[in-house]
Amino acid sequence: MRHIWVIAKNTLKLEIRDKILYGIIVFGFLYVLFTLFMADLVLKELPMVRSFGLTGMYFFNAIIALFLGTTSFFKDVDRKVVYFILSKPVSRAQFLIGKFIGLCLVLFLTTAILAVAYIGLILYEHGGFDALGLLAIAMQYIEMTLFIAFAIFVSTFSTSLLSIVYTSGVFFLGHVVSSILDDAKTVGITGIKYKLVEILYYIFPNLEKFDARNLAVHDLTMPFAVFGLALAYAAVYIVLLLSAAVWIFDKKEI
Amino acid sequence: MIQFSHLTKAYKKRQVAVNDFSLAVDVPIFGFLGQNGAGKTTIIKMIVGLLTPTSGTITMDGKPSTDSASKRRMGFMPETPYFYERMTGLEFMRLCDALYDPHAAAGREARYVALLKRVGIYDARDFEIRTYSKGMRQRLGFAQALVNDPEYLFLDEPLDGLDPIGRREMKEVMRELKKEGKKIFLNTHILNDVEEICDAVGIIHKGRLLYAGTVKEFCKGKPLEERFMEVVGEHEKK
Repeated sequence: MRHIWVIAKNTLKLEIRDKILYGIIVFGFLYVLFTLFMADLVLKELPMVRSFGLTGMYFFNAIIALFLGTTSFFKDVDRKVVYFILSKPVSRAQFLIGKFIGLCLVLFLTTAILAVAYIGLILYEHGGFDALGLLAIAMQYIEMTLFIAFAIFVSTFSTSLLSIVYTSGVFFLGHVVSSILDDAKTVGITGIKYKLVEILYYIFPNLEKFDARNLAVHDLTMPFAVFGLALAYAAVYIVLLLSAAVWIFDKKEI
Repeated sequence: MIQFSHLTKAYKKRQVAVNDFSLAVDVPIFGFLGQNGAGKTTIIKMIVGLLTPTSGTITMDGKPSTDSASKRRMGFMPETPYFYERMTGLEFMRLCDALYDPHAAAGREARYVALLKRVGIYDARDFEIRTYSKGMRQRLGFAQALVNDPEYLFLDEPLDGLDPIGRREMKEVMRELKKEGKKIFLNTHILNDVEEICDAVGIIHKGRLLYAGTVKEFCKGKPLEERFMEVVGEHEKK
């Protein structure tokens, strides 16, 4: 466990020195500020302001998660820095899990920075403290940790560029797969076609489970059971992805 | 003692990098000689656990070399070391030490400083590694291999990229380490280095061990380079 923490701390330290990450955060911050002007355009209607703010945060967090997940682990292996680490009493599993935790910490930091900007924005627009918005941001964060786990999993057998393609694809499918299954039921698709849709539904993560933005925008609370279920879903999915990643990485010739 | 027993490494396309390699090494400085692609790096990577043998075993004082306990007693410097470019030399030393013992790193600054002084990059300790020259990277790679005060050192082409003064300094450090009782397994294709500092040599060619013994016995009164070419040539004819 201690080795995992050493790797995680080191990952955090290195990633926060990355200028690309700062660039993305600055753009995210600017977007939240831009929402101030958008608020004037929509006559300061609070739900619209919230919607702009939360969607922007989601977009920038997704870019950060994609950037972190597809580059950090892959670079360490591809540039052979792992030679120094894995020749010491550190297992491949410890290294991989340490990287994952470290990247989640980086993401937590960037999410917190953007969340402060968002909460400030809503306070400025006389919306009070947006606790529901904060819950939506927490759900976004959980979704993004799953996203990072998937990106690391793909990085164990693919290049950085292909990881971006695969992870982006899964991100898209993860958001539409539950709608596709619903549509298939509505239209009345049966047999093999329905089975295929069902397989897709179970293979790809259902990222819609983490979407609390619409609820927050309309001042609706997410039931605790739904929140708990989403949390458990993410935990199980992440454990499965990281287990598969460790299995592949263990067999990889480096 | 490092013991290799029937060690074989075959890659996916049936390319055999190491073929039924057996050897016992128990000298202070062992030079492992071979041409590029002979299998030297593959063997050193198997010792430290970066590659898994297809068959055979490697033990260090009777225990598998990839055991956590064995790894604590060894230091490793890879060929052409790559680092975290945005770290400083001193930070990298701290990281490497923390990987042996996460709690030890706090009070060991003096040791890192001494090691960086020993390899001649103390003045650059607070510079980011991306500003280091190739020679400085080699020196840092060497220093981190010593961070846990290992009994066994596995060095893969440690003198590559060093200027003549740097080579002399590093060879001197190896001699000092020998006096301290450490055992060094040195991968190289530079014959002069072997002649100068090694107590025994192993000659590997196309994954097979052709000779193991003292340099003097191997040379039979001839220059090392000439003998090396002879032995490799004889094997090629077979």
